[in-house]
Amino acid sequence: MQPAKFEFARARSLGEAATILRQASGSAKVIAGGQSLGPMLNLRLARPSVLVDITAIPELTRIEEDGDGVMIGACVTTSDLEDGRARVDGLPILATVAAGIAYRAVRNRGTVGGSLCHADPAGDWLPVLCALAAECVVTDGSRVRRVPIQGFVTGAFEVMLEGAELLQAIRIPRPSRAARCGYYKVSRKAGEFALASAAVLFDREGERFRAVIGATQGRPIVVEDARSILRGVPQPGGAVELDATAAGALLRRAQLPAHMRLYTTALVRAAAQAMA
Amino acid sequence: MRSVELTVNGVAVVEAVEPRLHLADLLRERLGLTGTHLRCEQGACGACTLLIDGEPARACITYAVLCEGAQITTIEGLEDDPIMVALRRAFTAEHGLQCGFCTPGMLITARDIVRRLPGADERRIRLELSGNLCRCTGYVGIVRAIRRVLQEVRSGALAAAASERRKLGPVGSGRAGPAPGGLSVSPAAAAGGDKRGAIADADLGLAGRKPNIEIHQSLVIARPQAEVWTFLGDVERVVPCMPGATLSAVRGDRLQGGLAIKLGPIVAAFDGEARVVRDDAMQRGMILGAGRDRLGASRASGELEYRLSAVQGGAATRLDITVRALLLGPLAQFGRSAIVTDLAARISEVFARNLERRLAGLPDATQQKAIPAASLLGAVIAERIKNALARLLEKFRR
Repeated sequence: MQPAKFEFARARSLGEAATILRQASGSAKVIAGGQSLGPMLNLRLARPSVLVDITAIPELTRIEEDGDGVMIGACVTTSDLEDGRARVDGLPILATVAAGIAYRAVRNRGTVGGSLCHADPAGDWLPVLCALAAECVVTDGSRVRRVPIQGFVTGAFEVMLEGAELLQAIRIPRPSRAARCGYYKVSRKAGEFALASAAVLFDREGERFRAVIGATQGRPIVVEDARSILRGVPQPGGAVELDATAAGALLRRAQLPAHMRLYTTALVRAAAQAMA
Repeated sequence: MRSVELTVNGVAVVEAVEPRLHLADLLRERLGLTGTHLRCEQGACGACTLLIDGEPARACITYAVLCEGAQITTIEGLEDDPIMVALRRAFTAEHGLQCGFCTPGMLITARDIVRRLPGADERRIRLELSGNLCRCTGYVGIVRAIRRVLQEVRSGALAAAASERRKLGPVGSGRAGPAPGGLSVSPAAAAGGDKRGAIADADLGLAGRKPNIEIHQSLVIARPQAEVWTFLGDVERVVPCMPGATLSAVRGDRLQGGLAIKLGPIVAAFDGEARVVRDDAMQRGMILGAGRDRLGASRASGELEYRLSAVQGGAATRLDITVRALLLGPLAQFGRSAIVTDLAARISEVFARNLERRLAGLPDATQQKAIPAASLLGAVIAERIKNALARLLEKFRR
């Protein structure tokens, strides 16, 4: 199995990447670790004319703390987070989620940014970063803009990047010290893509109780106030129950009737983790 | 085509590749390293798992061009690795394989478990193995084998140092590589398939195998660098500088020819093929060759790498040559001794002198068809007889 022919370019700077992408006018594809794109290329599902390697751009493998958040370079890998090589204080959920993604051999090359840009609805980072209210830092080589992650992904395998833009980093606002995040996914086999997933952020101090349902048919479903689908008082050590009627209605609206039990199970378990 | 330079099992490899060529195909088809198996080619089955920069990764979804400057270690390169030695022993003892198809990938993952998770229990081992599919033995024997080795680590009988990786980003990637430009590959090489001659591309050069001959030489040629570079690109002028060498055909980047060697009573006449790769930007060239002795049963394959640099303010050129070769068959018994190394050194000395003379428009210094090395041989044989006698005496003393 061999991909359809493509040209190859390696960008050494954000500006260079933008220039290459602009010249290719839409037929180029950015590659970092290639762990999602690789299978698609091999299966000839993706047939870009040019592949642009961005891993040699120094900014993309940086971890930077700013006042109230942390910026994770787009080319930081899943195992960088799993091992704590990429040090992100106050967000232990990142290492936990990382350890459950695919397999070690894949995590050693697969990047967080690549996973987000690939925008597979069943991917792990998308629901988790939605729960954490992350922002995507997007650049076209000169202009930088921040886009809320919910706006970054526009549908299944679709993101809002245009022309010469690429994802530079993911910025996560630092949650309060009381905040806890839970994530649960249902898959047929360890390492496979999720059939259903959910992420829950519970922040007693910030009074946040956000739930996200992932592995949908498109964008994840974000419920800003999870009390609308989970009954009971959210508190540390507490327990919440599923509001079957409300959750059922929500899932039906999202046209997810097929595995409803899988989604609600993931939701309840993620919430339990966030309150543990 | 694009030039990619990487290290495979400790050996530097420069290859002209199509961007779509994945690592597993490069290793298997070009370098003859078939220990890396291929099945799903979509990153799911784990058969192609190998080490990139020391960490496990999938070869089938990692394109060679993404690995500029990377260290690739295949199952062949872990022959003497202490953890791998212990794992192989344990896989045998615990019946950890049957057909063997998944085994190379399984062993790479097992080694990663041993290094990264020395405290792993059965559940964790099974979780970590979820990315390597086995279709015949099942996992019971494999899990037992890994547990056995973990036990050795915990008891202190086996050392297993954890990874020291600090760099962030995909393993193997992130190096900017040489400036754009790179290899000038002849149109024939770009268009042609892998089998343009009698010898497949995969059999030319070392293909990741360990050489048993390694020679480094530096020569200074009293001509400017540009002149030497151009001359070296013209094989029909270069080959005659080599004592004993003949060129019979040139097709694109492929050469056919012979090399006659006379070493006292030993005569060899190698017929072979070679492929030439030149990198204008880096002023570096590589000749990958393989041949067979027409007179005996010896076989040789090897790589000659040369780099040019200006010396004496540009008036002269330094030519650094590295030859790594693997000699098999009857002649190989001399492979590790000084005999071949010295002979090769003499050949290249004559080569450099001829090169210089040709550049200056003079006739060759020597017109020898083969290098007579009787005196050299005499010295080496005397040494060998002494060694053999010493060994014999040692046996008697026991």
